[in-house]
Amino acid sequence: MSTADHQANHDVVKHSERHEGPQKHIIVFIFSIILTAIAFAAVSAGGVNAAFTVILLLVMAVLQVLVQLGYWMHLKDRGHLMPILFMIGGFFVAGTAIVTALYWVWW
Amino acid sequence: MAHAHSVKRHKGLMDWLTTVDHKKIAILYLLAGGLFFGIGGIEAVLIRLQLIKPMNDFVSAQTFNELITMHGTTMIFLGVMPVIFALMNAVIPLQIGARDVAFPFLNSLGFWTFLFGGILLNLSWIMGGAPDAGWTAYTPLSTTTYSTTHGVDFYTVGLQIAGLGTLIGGINFLATIITMRAPGMSFMRMPMFTWTSFITSAMILFAFPAITVGLVLLSFDRILGANFFEVANGGNPVLWQHIFWIFGHPEVYILILPAFGVISEVIPTFARKRLFGYSSMVFATILIAFLGFMVWAHHMFTTGLGPVANALFSIATMLIAVPTGIKIFNWLFTMWGGQIRFTSPNLFAIGFIPTFVMGGVTGVMLASAPADFQFHDTYFVVAHFHYVIVGGLVSGLLSGLHYWWPKMFGRMLNESLGKLSFWFFIIGFHLTFFVQHFLGLMGMQRRVFTYLPNQGFDTLNMVSTIGAILMGIGILIFLINAIVTATKPKGVADDPWEDGRTLEWAIPSPPPEYNFKQIPLVRGIDALWKEKMAGNKGMTPAEPLGPIHMPSPTILPFVMSVGIFIAGLGFMFSKEQFSNSFMSLIFNNWIVVIIGLLITFGSMLLRSLYDDHGWHIEVDELDEEGVKA
Repeated sequence: MSTADHQANHDVVKHSERHEGPQKHIIVFIFSIILTAIAFAAVSAGGVNAAFTVILLLVMAVLQVLVQLGYWMHLKDRGHLMPILFMIGGFFVAGTAIVTALYWVWW
Repeated sequence: MAHAHSVKRHKGLMDWLTTVDHKKIAILYLLAGGLFFGIGGIEAVLIRLQLIKPMNDFVSAQTFNELITMHGTTMIFLGVMPVIFALMNAVIPLQIGARDVAFPFLNSLGFWTFLFGGILLNLSWIMGGAPDAGWTAYTPLSTTTYSTTHGVDFYTVGLQIAGLGTLIGGINFLATIITMRAPGMSFMRMPMFTWTSFITSAMILFAFPAITVGLVLLSFDRILGANFFEVANGGNPVLWQHIFWIFGHPEVYILILPAFGVISEVIPTFARKRLFGYSSMVFATILIAFLGFMVWAHHMFTTGLGPVANALFSIATMLIAVPTGIKIFNWLFTMWGGQIRFTSPNLFAIGFIPTFVMGGVTGVMLASAPADFQFHDTYFVVAHFHYVIVGGLVSGLLSGLHYWWPKMFGRMLNESLGKLSFWFFIIGFHLTFFVQHFLGLMGMQRRVFTYLPNQGFDTLNMVSTIGAILMGIGILIFLINAIVTATKPKGVADDPWEDGRTLEWAIPSPPPEYNFKQIPLVRGIDALWKEKMAGNKGMTPAEPLGPIHMPSPTILPFVMSVGIFIAGLGFMFSKEQFSNSFMSLIFNNWIVVIIGLLITFGSMLLRSLYDDHGWHIEVDELDEEGVKA
């Protein structure tokens, strides 16, 4: 079995049938850079309404996170149900605490 | 066959310091947890002796504060948590048909960080005073203004280190249960103890970061002069309560869920029936975990959260009674019509049910915010949480220990002694805590070190102390039972209770270090019972006989934990004024902290750079050991 292990390490599976190739990743990479550029541009342009800028930045940030998680952390692929569930769980717990502390509870 | 990796076999103490075998780590957890449980128990008896009569001066007020603080902290973090981890380590890999946990190295690291955190916390007794601000360490009482000794520093740093171990353990069991189940064991075929431990581990993952943050803030306030909780400088002391209970309330479900799991294993085994309503049990467990994160402010009704928050948290809290009720009824229906055998594990399990129901009912009473203004900080609360934690959790753990003892050690605990300890424990328990409900309703506050005579408290406190002593005798009988059993020869059957339903009963007791010679094929819920009913002699293997890959033993987790321990001590005393110039040199210049961190990070570096591929047990060795087993 150990020999088999070592061999498996050497001839790493290079191309499974479902591998998409680099095209999608290049597109996603460019998309990420565009998102960042929009955010920078919105701030440096200055003339734009401040509230609008904040909302725009948040939208860009959310899109960026989704892209990063989905493509670079492979959450869009099969077999990632548990990481997704646990991330949602984490957001839920942290979100409950923050929202409650800010809006329900007065000290 | 490549046989390149040979392994260095350690003997004696070195074997225990270097082991990465989940079965041995389980025993380490049990020993360490048992030790701290004993310390916490002695503290409990001292508390009760002080309260046996009015105006008693058995201990001073300061010592009393230290005793209650250390009793609570020790019991929760260092007593029952490790015993839960002991059962999880001993049982879960066996129940899911795995050869070890997902990360054996981390398993060992989790144990040693827990142990050194616990030792650090208990060193406070001999190093200038134990923490004295209550186990919840509420600010501002726990800030340097009111708590001038190093007690609370021992609390923050000790719990931080021990909490690291718990977090590591939780993540490890999540990964183990998700990735290492035997072929055929889908999530909905997992034994209930595995399910509840899985949910508990998920709760650990989400809840422990909150206490980590809280302890960092508090230790920065105390040691580095930060102002997170300092009102005069714009801090907010109520923030601590929120952070503590965002962790603290899930923590109590982290504690009780594995006990629910134990009960769900023991009752079907000794009723010779499958668990009633398995899928509703799973659903109820998940629901309890989910709701458990949304109720923390019910500990803070009287801080002035406002009526909206109080009402919402009241309702959320009362909702938890629904899934818990589902569980209670399922256990009752499991016993209904079964062929019940009253063995010692089953006695503890059956004792658990009415006791836990009583604790649950007072919980719903406390959930009502207006009533809580009356109950808050009285002995009614003390009675409530001891009903769920001692009558519930500790009964569950004792049940589990009696049940799995033959699997862990290869020897049956003495049944007569087991039953005797059960009766002492359950009678002593109810004597101690039932009367405390009424003490609370009559107005006796918790955490007072003495009380005036002729307020109606005298007799009930006397009764409570007598009960505590009986409960202590029950635990002592269990200890004697364990020691007596250890002197007996090994050699119980694979399935000593004869009605075992799950996979752990399909292999020798204690199991060989690789657990399963061949990973079994699971064909249904209660995998072993299914094969028994089909008339098969054992599990069907899911793989051919082959060499088994094993992790190498290593001392690194121990060394890493020693490093963290040294760094923790150094951090605590970094601002201390020493009369000895050498001490001030090494402590005030952070040299001790740096040494400790160098040890820890050095070990990590060593671990990363040195490739250890583990070793293999070859087929011929398996056959030899197979004959022995």
